[in-house]
Amino acid sequence: MASVGETPSPSASSAIDTDQSSNLIARLRGRLERLRYSEDQLMLVLSLVVGAVVGLVVVAFILLTGRLAARMYPPGGSGLRRILVPVLGSLGTGYLLWRYFPNARGSGIPQTKFALFINDGRIMFRTVFGKFFCCSASLATGIALGREGPSVQVGGGIASMIARNLGLPPKYVKALVPAGCAAALAAAFNTPIAAVLFSLEEIMGDLHASVLGSVVLSSATSWMVLHLVLGDEPLFHVAGYKLVNPAEFGVYAVLGVVGGLGSVCFTKLLLGLRAWFLRQPKWTVWFQPVVGGLLTGVMGFFVPEVMGVGYNHVEKVLNGDIVLKMVILFAVLKIIATSVCYASGNAGGIFGPALFIGAMMGAAVGGVAHSLFPAVTAGPGAYALVGMGTAFAGIVRTPLTSVCMIFEITRDYTIIVPLMISNLIAFFISQKLQKMPIYEALAYQEGVHMPSARSRSETEQTQVRLVMRTEPPVLSPDLLIAEALRKMNGGAFNALPVVDAESLLGMIRASELEQVAEDGASNKRVAELLPEGPLNSDPTTEEFPHVHPDHRLSLTLERMGTTGMNVLPVVSRANVHQLLGIVALDDILGAYGVGKQGSHEDRSE
Amino acid sequence: MVKPFAAPSFVRTFGLVFLAIVILSVADEFLARLETKETQIEASHFFNQALALMQQGDNAAAIGRIQDAIANGHNNRTYQRTLAEAQLAAGDTAAAESTLSELLQSDSTDAHSNLILARVLAKEGRFDTAVVYYHRAIYGHWDRDQPNNRLHARFELINLLAQRGDKEALLAELLPVRETAPRDAKTRTWLGRLFLQAGSGSQAADVFRGITHDDPMDAQAHAGLGEAEFAQGDYRPADREFQTALRLAPDDQSIRQRLDLSNELLALDPSLRELTPDERFRRSVKLVQLTLDDARQCAGANPSPELQPLLEKADGALKAEVKPAHQSEAAELNLDLAEQLWQARRKDCKLPPAADSPLALVLARLAQ
Repeated sequence: MASVGETPSPSASSAIDTDQSSNLIARLRGRLERLRYSEDQLMLVLSLVVGAVVGLVVVAFILLTGRLAARMYPPGGSGLRRILVPVLGSLGTGYLLWRYFPNARGSGIPQTKFALFINDGRIMFRTVFGKFFCCSASLATGIALGREGPSVQVGGGIASMIARNLGLPPKYVKALVPAGCAAALAAAFNTPIAAVLFSLEEIMGDLHASVLGSVVLSSATSWMVLHLVLGDEPLFHVAGYKLVNPAEFGVYAVLGVVGGLGSVCFTKLLLGLRAWFLRQPKWTVWFQPVVGGLLTGVMGFFVPEVMGVGYNHVEKVLNGDIVLKMVILFAVLKIIATSVCYASGNAGGIFGPALFIGAMMGAAVGGVAHSLFPAVTAGPGAYALVGMGTAFAGIVRTPLTSVCMIFEITRDYTIIVPLMISNLIAFFISQKLQKMPIYEALAYQEGVHMPSARSRSETEQTQVRLVMRTEPPVLSPDLLIAEALRKMNGGAFNALPVVDAESLLGMIRASELEQVAEDGASNKRVAELLPEGPLNSDPTTEEFPHVHPDHRLSLTLERMGTTGMNVLPVVSRANVHQLLGIVALDDILGAYGVGKQGSHEDRSE
Repeated sequence: MVKPFAAPSFVRTFGLVFLAIVILSVADEFLARLETKETQIEASHFFNQALALMQQGDNAAAIGRIQDAIANGHNNRTYQRTLAEAQLAAGDTAAAESTLSELLQSDSTDAHSNLILARVLAKEGRFDTAVVYYHRAIYGHWDRDQPNNRLHARFELINLLAQRGDKEALLAELLPVRETAPRDAKTRTWLGRLFLQAGSGSQAADVFRGITHDDPMDAQAHAGLGEAEFAQGDYRPADREFQTALRLAPDDQSIRQRLDLSNELLALDPSLRELTPDERFRRSVKLVQLTLDDARQCAGANPSPELQPLLEKADGALKAEVKPAHQSEAAELNLDLAEQLWQARRKDCKLPPAADSPLALVLARLAQ
């Protein structure tokens, strides 16, 4: 043994190091093992892990796409490249998508929603890999699609893979998928708040979703990863724009109208073309993407700005650097190119093109307004900025995300009010003229009937409050058993609430009354059948069967099944002994249109 | 016993995830560096093209190239400054101002950007504001060669003030650079001339004297010193310096003209110390004669009631016989008369007298 002050031999030192490492690994392993028993802690850790992994993958995706594109189109390259590269690219990726990665086609948002709502959050590794690889190749060759939608699917897929490999139940897999989506969008757009909103507004279709905590944490982690790797660079570098004159609100409203109409044109064209491609014979699927590649190539030969995501051109427009005729041309060509590329089955999203189209439409409206009223309007750049939001709100139909995203992109608060006005007008017009949102409609075309935000909202509307009876039959605790039994047998319910002057004391089943009567104790009072002791202020459902007015009918049915009662008391959330009414099985069935005839007439009972 | 929440492969999966994080971090770092390197090269390529276009005077095309460079290198302030310079050269001062405002918003002490903005403002005719930005350029932060750049910014401001003829502000800017300016003869000569322009003959004389001390063969310095002496009314030393300058640069017509002027002044000036009473009287008569001729030529046939009696008085003075004993007294009276006549002529005549005519210079000196 080494004495104090004596230097240990190299072999002894190495043995100590190995021991320490083993201890560290063992401790770490122990902590991880403990996580298996704590749902809250595990979800917290997984939100961070998903955020970090997705952030790193999306950053790699962005960088890889950029570097590949730089190699495809070196400065001073021949114009013919702009035709050849997208054609060959779409041919190659088209084959891969058809042969190996059929779920990696298109944007990725409908596929993610499908996985979330229909497939228990299952997104397979093959899809994630195919999306990453095919989109990188596709976007690098200049296909006029975006990278954000695919990033969302990749993010959701990574979250799904991690959760499934950890052996988590589907409920938790589904909770982590939106977190992965938010992380992906936060890294792809550098907009962490908008990413959270998008995940809730579009993916979940519920701004009050219970996964909010995980989504926020994951988005923030991913954003931090982005900053660590790429620094604090906003997506667009934009000069600070301001409202020059209150009269400008009128011009922004016009922009909202133009943005809304443009969004509808784009959506309808894309859906129409997609429907046409879907009608073509199956054996053409693998080379259908070439149609998009060829069209983009031909357009790109004359107008290179149409190719790729086009964010550098968006930035120029945002800074007021492109002339009016050109922005109109770019908007029209981009609408056509993106619609054809997407509809023909290339891999890529429509977020980026939506921003491009919006910026061009905004610049066009702004350019005209500024030339007519130079003293009271800002330059075209300000309108291009707001235009991006209007197109996003009109096409993707997420107005809140859109406002927040533009705010985060520009980091300028002063443009918010015009942005909100334009966005809401565009959203309203788009909703009126194109009933089904684009992602829902795309899924529908593929034969998937996605639960829309509206249908989910309708489900939420089937609450107890809508079918409950507010003047229910009740039993007094002083009532004799025989009288109570008579009263109960005269009605359709197998149980009734017992209520004194102040509150609900409990439920009495008909079977309990019959049992007591058979035992020859019909002269007893109802109160004697109730559990003894003081009333518990917070009883469990088993002890005290009940529902609240905001409970879903499905839960009510569940509780009826558990208790064996065909009626449940509806009580206040503030005081569970305050009876608000009753809800009966017949009323629930009636609400779903399968109830007995005349069941609703019994309500006056 | 509590049921575990996740599968037994839990720890292994976490291990794989952390391994993936490490691998992805390395890949991202590599890709980020590659991107930085390649975009910098691309940006530099565009920027060099832009510089070549600017040299050819094609500023509009240069602006496009610089914007391409900026798209690849957002944080490069040199690109943004050059964009502003190209916009200024293309005449789009509003765009240049906007570009520079953005730069200065992120760093208000950026001296180079302040200097370009000062130029933009000067071009827009907003001189007072331009001076403020010139001062920010002079006292701001330069990335390299700070003393020299500060000096050049001040020189540019000095040139602007000299062009505008703002003598007080010009002198205020010249005094601090007298000691810090480069010691080469060209710069010092330039400074001396500006001191003259700012109305400080003594400072100019000091500067030129310094140059002639270091290089007695510098004709321009001698000519400058002559001007400085001349400006202070010291015609004799001025004449000497002009003679020296002309000896050193015999073909310089401007020096010859200044020498001729100083000779004329020396021949006319009645206030020179070494003059005899007779000579002083003779010069005073000549001065009255020249002033009278000038006033008559200017006033024509109908002189004003104020000028008329003075013209008659001058006629009388020229015809008067003066004995040698009274010549000193008569000379003083003649000089007073010439001054009065000159003042009356200035009021009566529409055309002002030539500022550098010997008569005007002598009478101005007498008025002092």
